[in-house]
Amino acid sequence: MNSFVKQRWLGFSLFVVLSGTAIWLQARWFGTVLRLSYLTGWVLFAVILCLTLYNPRKKLPFLPLLSSEAWLQFHIYAGLLTGVLFAAHMSYRIPSGLFQTILACLYVLVMLSGFFGLFVSRALPKRLTARGGEVLFERIPAIRHALQDRAEALALKSIAEVKSATIADFYSRELRGFFEGQRNLGLHLLEVSSPVNRLLNRIKDLNRYLNQEEQVMLEQFAVLVRQKDGLDYHYALQLVLKTWLFVHIPLTYSLLLFTMVHIVLVFAFSGGAQ
Amino acid sequence: MPAAPTTFDRPQRWDAAFDPKMTDADVDRLLDTPPFSNMRAENFPARLPLRDILKQDTSIRRYRQGELIVRQGDYGNSAFLVMSGNVRVVLRPGLPPSLLGRREPARKNVFRLLAQMWANRKEPESLQASELKGDKRIGARVGDGDEVKVFLQDVPRVLSEQKTDLIQRGELFGEIAALSRMARTATVFAESEEAELLEIRWQGLRDIMRYDDALRKQVDTIYRERALRSALRQVPIFRRLSDEALQEVIARTELSTYGDYDWSGEYKRLAQAAATGQRKQEPTIAEEGDYPNGVVLIRSGFARVSQKFGHGHRTLNYLGAGQFYGFEEIAHNWRNPASPLPLQYTLRVIGYAHVIVIPTTVMEKLVLPAVPKGDLPPLITPVESEIATAPSKDAAEKIGSEMLEFLTESRFFNGTATMVIDLERCTRCDDCVRACAAAHDNNPRFLRHGPSHGRIMIANACMHCVDPVCMIGCPTGAIHRGAFGGEVVINPVTCIGCKACFNNCPYEAIRMVEIRDESGAFLTDKELNPIIKATKCDLCVEQVGGPSCQRACPHGALARLNLNEIDVFANWLER
Repeated sequence: MNSFVKQRWLGFSLFVVLSGTAIWLQARWFGTVLRLSYLTGWVLFAVILCLTLYNPRKKLPFLPLLSSEAWLQFHIYAGLLTGVLFAAHMSYRIPSGLFQTILACLYVLVMLSGFFGLFVSRALPKRLTARGGEVLFERIPAIRHALQDRAEALALKSIAEVKSATIADFYSRELRGFFEGQRNLGLHLLEVSSPVNRLLNRIKDLNRYLNQEEQVMLEQFAVLVRQKDGLDYHYALQLVLKTWLFVHIPLTYSLLLFTMVHIVLVFAFSGGAQ
Repeated sequence: MPAAPTTFDRPQRWDAAFDPKMTDADVDRLLDTPPFSNMRAENFPARLPLRDILKQDTSIRRYRQGELIVRQGDYGNSAFLVMSGNVRVVLRPGLPPSLLGRREPARKNVFRLLAQMWANRKEPESLQASELKGDKRIGARVGDGDEVKVFLQDVPRVLSEQKTDLIQRGELFGEIAALSRMARTATVFAESEEAELLEIRWQGLRDIMRYDDALRKQVDTIYRERALRSALRQVPIFRRLSDEALQEVIARTELSTYGDYDWSGEYKRLAQAAATGQRKQEPTIAEEGDYPNGVVLIRSGFARVSQKFGHGHRTLNYLGAGQFYGFEEIAHNWRNPASPLPLQYTLRVIGYAHVIVIPTTVMEKLVLPAVPKGDLPPLITPVESEIATAPSKDAAEKIGSEMLEFLTESRFFNGTATMVIDLERCTRCDDCVRACAAAHDNNPRFLRHGPSHGRIMIANACMHCVDPVCMIGCPTGAIHRGAFGGEVVINPVTCIGCKACFNNCPYEAIRMVEIRDESGAFLTDKELNPIIKATKCDLCVEQVGGPSCQRACPHGALARLNLNEIDVFANWLER
């Protein structure tokens, strides 16, 4: 068994044991322990606070505060545990009232964005690697511009060298838009490659009307189209990998804020904690 | 009809003379000076005359009192002969690091660690003027040409505080470090008002030794006395030998150097030209199918273990310092004299390698009888010989020969802390880059980009090489091995921005940066030239807890691995 599998088993086992304990205690103490929801609420809040600390930990990489990998493992399984604690805190009921509903919705959104993040973090790197052509995200615009310049230059060269506007016209009509910006981002995420295949088919169709010299040039366009498509693919997937946290983290802080308001409201309207 | 001129193969290294300023008059003077005056010119072949070796491979260097000639711990590829004046070697306790241009090692304490939260500088690559002040006990001046020489300000004090020894006229030093590519073992400085030394690059020294018995015997004796005994004692199979037996092994051991010391330059040229077929240029040390003449122990450098596969050779492993080849076959044949086996693999040099060969007869007579039966390698079976890889069979199988080929062609096995990224787990979040920047005053010291093969990328970060070619030729000793774990680090105080390390590094892991002050203005010298310093990954030597990049990776995708230990890499791949 390799270390990643061991890590998963350990984390999942801990999650099952702690969740089972929480569910059992909740069932056992329900109706007998006074203000049980205070207990589950404070535990839930403490775990959420611990989960939130991962972000500050990332900002302080020079402090010897365990590895980020260890923190992420804790984050994943403790995050799952909050689901059980949240349900226990709600006594397994649908929330009633506007504030509680907003709070519950925020919690669900944080959880879902976390699941989404975990999924894309595990799935997309494999797809990027399989596609090849590793590129730094920040350099993609510059590389795209360079490809666009090469395509423009090739189109102009075709007029000058073969004294025909067929390729240049085709470029203006079919390819210029493709090279001008990031294209087909959503489709790349879904691994749909029909747009680029369509373009390549049009290039192939045009081929039969060209002489040998033009055919060589058209083949160069096909190479550029494939390169640009690869770049768009990397852009789309890396964009998702980089931006999902911009949803997860603001939602988390919103949840914390609402939770604190919730605590204040609970204490304000219940006569104080016992 | 005029006679056809005699032609010969001009040694390639002579395309660039070691010192273009060497004149015929200088060579004449050398030829009248011992030990060269005692050498017989007729012993040298026509294509390598002594005169040409002296002209092309040597340089006359003049040092003034206190100037450092070599520093302890530095790497160099030349030896020195004292021609006039006195030079002294520092024996004990050794000069402090600051006098050698290095930085005193200091881990950050808890307060300095915490202070990084607010005290990191806003301007990139900025230093306070006070931080650029070096140890006042040393000075620097420009010597012959543009060469910067560092000198000790107070030589009498050094002499009173240190145990030193005099190296007199006619004596040679630095030859072991030059020939075996080991770190210099002591610091040497000029004691007299002026000292004249002849610096001989290793190729020249090697050739002179080849054709002059006296020098060869002199160097050979020193080498066997000082270096070989400790080298052999470090290898498990020689540990149980008695002193007498070891002495006999040492006496009968053969020493060889293969390949090109300047492999980094050649490697860079090939890498830039994206050339292939490097193996054609790799000299063969031992060939698969041949009779095993002896155990080959790698003393420094690297060698590739390969096996015939189809019409080519498949890389199975690479060997570095301390590893050996041919032991399994010799041990097998010793136990099975009736069915001897030839060598199962080919051993080729990658770049250069300095090797020690212990002949088979010596192994059979002295070494093998002293090795406990349990420590002997298993007998080679035909099945094993078909699929086996020499030392790390499991590891090589886990890694796969294509990956090994990639690591070997790119010479990444040189790294002791190579930044390896698993692209199938890396989310390209750049947490590693941010962590690196946070640990270095907001200046990242690596690029998360580099050559890749399959799911593995080797990022552009200093690998802290076994063979740190970047350390050769630093005029001030600014680039050196750290005291904690041998990390290669740069002291910004004594770095003069000469780019020697930057040009030497075959992996482009060193960057030259323009330094600013705290306000963000570029620092300049008196001629208004920007102050330039070399920067690179220092493996977070001042931080607590190890490299920040590795600790910052949330997905366990990045590791700093010693690729010289193939098992470590194999286990990491299978984690």
